[in-house]
Amino acid sequence: MSKMKKVLALLLVFVLTASLGACGGSPKEETKKDTVPTDTKQTDVTQAVKEETDKASGDYEFKEPVTIKFANYGVLEAGYDKFWNDAKKGFEEKYPDITIEFMTAEYGQMLTQVVTWVGGGEKVDLVFGEASWIPTLADAGILMPVTDAFSEDYLSQIYPSMLEAMKVDGVPHGIPMYASPFIMLYNKDLFEQAGLDPNSPPATVDEMMEIAPKLAALKTADGNPVYPFGMTTASVAVSGSCLTSLIYGFGGSVLSADGKLDIDNAGFKQTFEFLKELDDKGYNPQVSKLKDLRNLFALGQLAMYYDQSWGFNGVRSINPDAIDFVASAAPLAGGQGTGESLIQAHTLMMGNNGEAQVEATKLFIQYLLTEDVLIPYLQNVAPGYPSMKALSEIPGITESPVLAGAIKSLDTARSATNIPTINDFNLELTALAQAVTVNDKEVDQAINDFKTAAEGILSN
Amino acid sequence: MQNKSITFDPNKKKGAPFMRRITKDRLFALALLTPSIIVTVMFILVPVFDSVIRSLQDYRIKNIIAGTPGKWNEFANYMKLFSNNKLLPSIETTFIFVGGVVLAQFVLGMAMALVLNSNLKGARFIRSIMMAPWIVPTIISGLIWMWIYQPQYGLLKYVVGIFSAGRVTDFAMLNNPATALLGIAIAALWKQIPLTALLLVSGLANVPEETMEAATVDGANAVNRFFHITIPYMKSIIKVTTSMSIIENFKQFPLIWTMTGGGPDNSTSTLAILSYREAFVSNNLGSGAAVTTIWMLLMIGVVILFNIIFKETKME
Repeated sequence: MSKMKKVLALLLVFVLTASLGACGGSPKEETKKDTVPTDTKQTDVTQAVKEETDKASGDYEFKEPVTIKFANYGVLEAGYDKFWNDAKKGFEEKYPDITIEFMTAEYGQMLTQVVTWVGGGEKVDLVFGEASWIPTLADAGILMPVTDAFSEDYLSQIYPSMLEAMKVDGVPHGIPMYASPFIMLYNKDLFEQAGLDPNSPPATVDEMMEIAPKLAALKTADGNPVYPFGMTTASVAVSGSCLTSLIYGFGGSVLSADGKLDIDNAGFKQTFEFLKELDDKGYNPQVSKLKDLRNLFALGQLAMYYDQSWGFNGVRSINPDAIDFVASAAPLAGGQGTGESLIQAHTLMMGNNGEAQVEATKLFIQYLLTEDVLIPYLQNVAPGYPSMKALSEIPGITESPVLAGAIKSLDTARSATNIPTINDFNLELTALAQAVTVNDKEVDQAINDFKTAAEGILSN
Repeated sequence: MQNKSITFDPNKKKGAPFMRRITKDRLFALALLTPSIIVTVMFILVPVFDSVIRSLQDYRIKNIIAGTPGKWNEFANYMKLFSNNKLLPSIETTFIFVGGVVLAQFVLGMAMALVLNSNLKGARFIRSIMMAPWIVPTIISGLIWMWIYQPQYGLLKYVVGIFSAGRVTDFAMLNNPATALLGIAIAALWKQIPLTALLLVSGLANVPEETMEAATVDGANAVNRFFHITIPYMKSIIKVTTSMSIIENFKQFPLIWTMTGGGPDNSTSTLAILSYREAFVSNNLGSGAAVTTIWMLLMIGVVILFNIIFKETKME
């Protein structure tokens, strides 16, 4: 090899090595200082914010423009994107010193993405997501208690059961934007076709099982079978939440208040016996996700199913005429239960990135929860029960076919015990449902297997 | 006897420039290798070592956020994995999946390669379009196959209904713990066979025609020619192709997570799924690292075994 070639090769190697070295540099330390508050810093800032909030004036003076970094999967979803972009525009017009910057990821990736962002030194001021994300994000130290930002007076305007669902170690870590227990949606047309009163949905599991054969005998216009009752059991965390709701309906429990396994109760076992019976009779579409049930419901192949109220948006996207046949009812009461349900909320969760950021984020949350902004969203985009008590009597809510029939279930809805491993625990709960249905295991044996797996998860 | 002793002559420096050149060449080679060494150390060895260390610690997301180190937890991550009846079924599922897919992939890929290498009409056309599944992103492949398997209105249900004259109406491959893994394996094969076939076709081109002709003249039939000439000549490409397939399927995650999430009843929960659930669903990175460490050791063991087998079956 000529000398020149050798020199060129060495030069290339040097450039490569230098560029590799350059890959490692980042101003992480500096960013981290701002993003991850130490306990002391957090206390100082939250104390300052609290003082500001306690002034009850809301007239915080921003010394310089503030940008709120808002992690929001909704911006990527058709139907929701317009609302969020309009909300951003409206807020920025009202508060010219504050800019909203969306940070987006798909729904299924958002929780992991937020953790990755913050872990990588990126600031996240606000997260829109499920209440079930709170324990994970709080455990990771990403969220601040909302009691440090909002006054007691403001928080007292929120439904206590909804605020309860936000609590980790007794402290709320999110502001529910709107909520819904798992409710029962049913198809009035199918009820009529089966000779049932469309205005008298079943209230108990026994009543439902009594009318189920009539609904199962129906066929759609193109000859497809009709399933009487849909309960999600697919391997996704939200299915586990829905199963928890069903267990509550049977008067059972899943976790104790201190996060221990609490399944030695009749309601828990009866729930899975019920699921097995549904499966044996072919009443429930097997291993379905909520979106599968929404598809079937939209196509007139499912008479009743459990969902959150905003799940109807998925139904409507498939069949816009579904609004004509949908009605809602309180969840079924089974065994010794009274039909209690699990409350779910779409939640606004705050990070603590300094006084100005927190104050701006607080203003944005308050803006989102005003009647002018929230009610059109709940009426036209995502049917749900507003978290602010004052908004619940608005006709748009009380007369909505998706919300009206189940509105009383809000009073009895319970929150889940918030533990950091709740999502994995929920997946194991779906495995139990699958064991007694598609895997034909005996209920007692399946519950014993579940205990072993669940205790491993809870020990995490 | 001839005296072979070497005498040192200080004036004789013939060897020195040679040694200097050797040293220079070595240094030059080392310099050229430096970026590769750095990349290997930084992006492979350090993360692997770091992962093994984390597997021995209580290490969670909050440790990353707060920048605090994990705490040594006396092998608790490993003990938990063995006590909660999760690890061994996952290992079993992983091996069944890898074994089945790799074997089927090789057999079907080779069959396709032989067809494509023949003078069959349309072989060139097939070769040009057969890569389409390989180009499709894995998650999209998973979604496509989920729709095909969909129990109420999927294509497979329709086809089964036709072939069974309407007698089978509830065929749901992914809902049955006995068939769910097979359903995923079919999707994996659909995606991976094209590349395998293409690689094997390139290997077939290395089989000398004169040897085949000589064997034919000597009376060897097609089967004998295939096993005694084609396969030995293709040994190196088969080894590479199969190694790639083993690794690809050992670490298969997106297809399984998209199609079944590890269900039903954990029947498709492989080590990849278990690792993800431990690390990112339960948010216990230490426990996830423990699964990954076991997974890595198993994969190393399989690859070593594979190399030994290939060495032993070397044909002269």
